[in-house]
Amino acid sequence: MNKHKINEKPHYLNPYFGGVLLGLLVVVTFYITGRGLGASGSVKSTVVTTVNAIAPQHAENNPYFSKYIPKDKSPMNNWLVYESFGILIGGLLSGVIYGRIKKFRIEHGKHTTSSKRLIFAVLGGALFGFGSQFGRGCTSGAALVGSASFSFGGVIVMLGIFGTGYAVAYFFRKLWI
Amino acid sequence: MNKNYIFLTVLMLLLALGTFFVPKKQLVSHEVKPEKLLLDITQPSRYVTTDQVAKMIIEHDPTLELIDVRPADEYDKFSLPDAVNVPLKDILTPEGQDNLGIEDMNAVFFSNDDIMSDQAWVISTRLGYKNIYVMKGGLNCWIETIINPVEPPETAPKTAFETYQFRKAAGMYFTGGNSIKTDTGVKKAKIKVRRKKKEKAASGGC
Amino acid sequence: MGPLIPNEIITGDWNFVIAILIGIAFGFLLEASGFSSSRNLAGVFYGYNFVVLRVFFTAVIVAMVGLLYFDYFGWLDLSKIFILPTYLSPMILGSVIMGIGFVMGGFCPGTSFTAIAIGKMDALFFAIGLFIGIFIFGESFPLFKDYYYSGSMGNVTLTDVTGIAAPWFAFGFTVIALAAFWVSAEIEKKVRKNTKEYKF
Repeated sequence: MNKHKINEKPHYLNPYFGGVLLGLLVVVTFYITGRGLGASGSVKSTVVTTVNAIAPQHAENNPYFSKYIPKDKSPMNNWLVYESFGILIGGLLSGVIYGRIKKFRIEHGKHTTSSKRLIFAVLGGALFGFGSQFGRGCTSGAALVGSASFSFGGVIVMLGIFGTGYAVAYFFRKLWI
Repeated sequence: MNKNYIFLTVLMLLLALGTFFVPKKQLVSHEVKPEKLLLDITQPSRYVTTDQVAKMIIEHDPTLELIDVRPADEYDKFSLPDAVNVPLKDILTPEGQDNLGIEDMNAVFFSNDDIMSDQAWVISTRLGYKNIYVMKGGLNCWIETIINPVEPPETAPKTAFETYQFRKAAGMYFTGGNSIKTDTGVKKAKIKVRRKKKEKAASGGC
Repeated sequence: MGPLIPNEIITGDWNFVIAILIGIAFGFLLEASGFSSSRNLAGVFYGYNFVVLRVFFTAVIVAMVGLLYFDYFGWLDLSKIFILPTYLSPMILGSVIMGIGFVMGGFCPGTSFTAIAIGKMDALFFAIGLFIGIFIFGESFPLFKDYYYSGSMGNVTLTDVTGIAAPWFAFGFTVIALAAFWVSAEIEKKVRKNTKEYKF
C-alpha cells in the first residue's frame, strides 16, 4: 500500500539552510585537514588503479597516470577516495531518511526518452571527466572549495562551468524541458 | 517566509561587512621563544662544512637548497652552482622565505664568511623555520678548501690526505666549467630521497 | 590552532576516518538539498529550479566569510591551507568542457555519487562516463602535456592577483549572491507558472 502518491513533491532541505551547512562543512574541513573536499579525484584514482591493475607497464609509462601511482600502496588509498565513499554513504543515509530510495530509475525531461538520456549521461560524464583534469577539479573541489578559499583558479573554474552551462543550455533544452 | 529571508539577507550582509573590520592576525604564534633561540644559537649543529656542501652538490642531492645571502651584484659575479640569491635584507619578506621550510629540503645559507649567513640563520630560526644550516666559513672557506686545497704535510694523519684527495677532485669538478653558477633556477624537487647522513662537522675547516 | 592535522594537533592516522565522516556529511547535505536529481541540477540553466544557485552560492559566501572569521579568531592559520593552484588557460578550457558536460549529463561527480546511492541509473551512467573521460584524458595526455602545465600562476589567491583584500571579495560575492537569490526567486516563479508539468 503506497503511503505516498507517486507525484508527491519530495521533501528537501531549505536550500539556503543546506548552503549554510555546506559552507560550514567546507570551513570545518579546512580547519581539520587544511584542504577542502572534492569528488573527481576519486574517479581519477579509480581509473589509475584499473589501468595499473590491467596493464601496469602501460600505466607506469603513461606520463599522467604514473604520477598517481604511489610506490608502496594502492592508488585508491587516498583521502579523496575515502571521502567519496563517505559521499555515497551520506547520500544513502539522506535517501533513507527522506524516503527517496526506490527501485532503479532513469530521470529525464518530458520530451526525451530514457535511452537518449542515458546516452547523454555517458557523453556528458565523459566530457566532464575529461575537462575536470584540465580544470584540476570539479564543481566541488575546484569551483566550490577553490572559490571559498579565494583561489583565483577556483573562481575561474566556477565562472567557466556555469557560464558555459548557460551558454549551451539552449542546445540541450530538449533533454530537460 | 519573506520576513525571515529579509532578516537572513541583512544578517549575511552584516557578517560579510564585518570581515572588513576584523584585523589580520600576525603570525606571532610561530615565532620561537627567546630561550629556545639562545639554546639553538649556541649549538654548532647548524654548521655544515664546505666538504659536505661540495659532496651534496656533486651527488646532486635533491634536498639541498643553497641560499646566497649576499647582495645581488656579488651573487651575479660568482656563486655556488644552483644557489638562489636572497639578500639578507630580503629575508623578512614573504618572497625571501619562499625557499625555507619546504618539506624534506635542507636550506644552507652562505655568504663570504659566516657573519651574514649566521644572521640569516638566526632570523629564519626565530621565524620558526627548521632544517636550515650555515656553511661554515662561507665562500672564503670554499675557495680555500675546495678550489685551492692545501696539501697536508707528510706527518698528517691518513684522513687528512683522504680529505685532500676529495677536495682536489671536487675542485676539478667545480672549476671544470661548473664553478660559475648555473642558471637552473630554484629546484623545488619533491622527490623523497634517502635522508642526508648527519656527518660530524669535524674534518677540516678554516 | 587549525588546520589541525598539518599542525599535528590530530595525528594523521585519523585522516581517513575524518575523510569518511566529512564525505558522509557532504553526501547527506547534497542529497537532502535535492542534488541527487539531474532534473533539479539542470534546472538552474533553464530557470525552473534554482536550487543549485542557492545551495552553491550560499555555501561559497558562508565559507568565505567563515574562513575570514576563523582566521580572525585565531582558529585557523590561513597561510597553511591548500589553495588550488591556477593554470590559467587549461583551467578555462577545462571549465568550458565541464560546463558542456554538466548540461549534457545533468550531474557533476559529487552529486552523481549521491544519486547513485538512491538508485538513479542516469547517475551511474554519468559516473561511467567520468571514468571513460578521465581514461581518454590519460591516454591522450602526451598530445597536450605541455598545454596541461601551461599558464601556471602558482597557488595564487584573488588577493594575490588583484591586490584587493579578501573581505572585498567576501562582501562582493555576498552582495551578488543575495541579489541573485532574490531575482532568481522571481524568475523561478514565472518559469514554473508557464511549465505546467514540472514533476520532481
